[in-house]
Amino acid sequence: MSGQGIEIIINALMLSSMYILVASGFALVLNIMGILNFAHGALYMVGGYVCYQLGVIYGINLWLSLLLAAAAMALFGLFLERFCFRPFYGDFFNSTIVSIALILIFQTTVNLTMGDHVRSLPPFVAGMFKHGGVSISWDRLATGAIGVGLLGILTLYIRKSKMGQQMLAVAQDSVGAELQGIRIHRVAAIAMGLGCALATVAGSFMGAIFDLTPFMGDLILVRVIQLVILSGIGSIGGVLIGGLVIGALDSILPLYVTPSIAQTLGLAVVIAVLLIRPRGLFGREVG
Amino acid sequence: MERNMSHQRGFSIVPRRQAYAYLAGLVILALLPVFMKTLYSYHIFILTFVYIIATSSLRTLATSGQISMCHAAFMSIGAYGSALLARDAGWSPWLTMPLGALGTMVVAVLIGFPFARVRAIYFSMVSLFFGMGIISVNQIFGKYTGHIGGMIGIPPLFASSKVPYYYFFLGLTAFSLLVLWRFETCRIGVCLKAINQSHEVAASVGISEMKFRVVAQGVSCFIVGLAGAGYAHYNTVISYSSFDLLASIYLIVYMIVGGIGSFGGPIIGTAILFVLPELFRGLKEFTPYLFATIILVVVFLMRDGIVSLGGKIKSLSVRSS
Repeated sequence: MSGQGIEIIINALMLSSMYILVASGFALVLNIMGILNFAHGALYMVGGYVCYQLGVIYGINLWLSLLLAAAAMALFGLFLERFCFRPFYGDFFNSTIVSIALILIFQTTVNLTMGDHVRSLPPFVAGMFKHGGVSISWDRLATGAIGVGLLGILTLYIRKSKMGQQMLAVAQDSVGAELQGIRIHRVAAIAMGLGCALATVAGSFMGAIFDLTPFMGDLILVRVIQLVILSGIGSIGGVLIGGLVIGALDSILPLYVTPSIAQTLGLAVVIAVLLIRPRGLFGREVG
Repeated sequence: MERNMSHQRGFSIVPRRQAYAYLAGLVILALLPVFMKTLYSYHIFILTFVYIIATSSLRTLATSGQISMCHAAFMSIGAYGSALLARDAGWSPWLTMPLGALGTMVVAVLIGFPFARVRAIYFSMVSLFFGMGIISVNQIFGKYTGHIGGMIGIPPLFASSKVPYYYFFLGLTAFSLLVLWRFETCRIGVCLKAINQSHEVAASVGISEMKFRVVAQGVSCFIVGLAGAGYAHYNTVISYSSFDLLASIYLIVYMIVGGIGSFGGPIIGTAILFVLPELFRGLKEFTPYLFATIILVVVFLMRDGIVSLGGKIKSLSVRSS
């Protein structure tokens, strides 16, 4: 295989793993609370900026500031779940516009305080990897590896731990889960915190590879919704496959056609899948 | 007698008192230009009319339980269709506006059939992707629609003054609201509400979900296409950024904040959420905070939107007396 082919595959994997990291938090919140959290993209953006603030402006070690930012955003997620989303479980209309209000607040705050010029995190791992015809930055390789690693840990956590099993139970049937003595609010809060932390990690890595902008969340939000809906609501494992499809489309199509045609084709694929399988690839009926 | 029947059926044919309120509002708005001096206030009123039409037609679709996230994209079909016919084919705007609206309806009905297969969140998401698809198609054909700078040189409806536009859009709003009101209270509208409550029960008594949802989509999109076409000829410059996902989401916010359960909700919601930020436009960069604050206050204090405030005040005064 040519060097360029390998680069494309590595880029596709890297993008996919980042999309899936953000999407798994989004899917957990959607499945457990029945809330379509449009603010998840904005949380990803805020996470990237928090990491920037700690690592670049306060000069803390970049890896440490990534951990600190993830922890801070997880706490913030607990706060959001308690005060913004808990009153609206299963209330699609009101929870949707609460999340829109949150987007407005986050974007405006970041735009007013730090959005005056383009910022970017320094690469987490410097240098380029060169071997044969392949030339790719170590940062992208590390991002892909860490993304895949985190996804493995997340899958293990959901499949093996008690809390993960409780999350699956609530996602399947929240009333039944509550009758079995599962504290669904606590499960939801942990899912929200976990989702925010994962979004922060993805936001920081993407902020190092691309730029940080107050509106970077919008783009990833669309991708995340695409892949969660493609894989189907109610399926957490399906997100992995949906993510690979969307990541591959997103890294391969722009090489051959203009960005707007690529975008149209990507959307057409998702619409076509949904019209053939109205509940997504692995999903169930909702509401 | 008539009132009694409407009670029994469990939905409100708009009572006579409410009809008088709408009429009074229309008369006041018709007399308002006597007092208005600045061009800017005309501009704000005209835009408010356009968005009231769009939000109300969105609610027609929502009575069947489906929240469309591409309503602004449908608006753009009407706007660009009418603008292209008027500018490049040289037809009169008075002819192209209904044609643009018809074109919007045709597109809406065509995609309505496949889209009627999906419900609730899935419908919202499919329509979201469709709306984004329309925007990207628009970008692909940037040669005709003018790239990000927008499409310029659209023939205006009236020369110079804004006053005829004001009356034109007031009339258009009255016409659209009348159509939507009639649609909601006729048999089709009742069937749509039945589908919203339970599509299974509705199907079991012989209501075809697909048929009624497609009809609702067609009517709703005809009206919004008309609003879009009128907007294009008023503004004479249109850019796809005014019809993107954010614009669709704003329509949904206007509708839900106003109150999705009643006909007047979208009107009140648009009037408040669209006009208030304009009053504070000196603080331009802070207006999103104002907008977000209104949303949060309404969502936390008035679950059913601003229109529920009237009922609350009434029940308070009854209790205290």
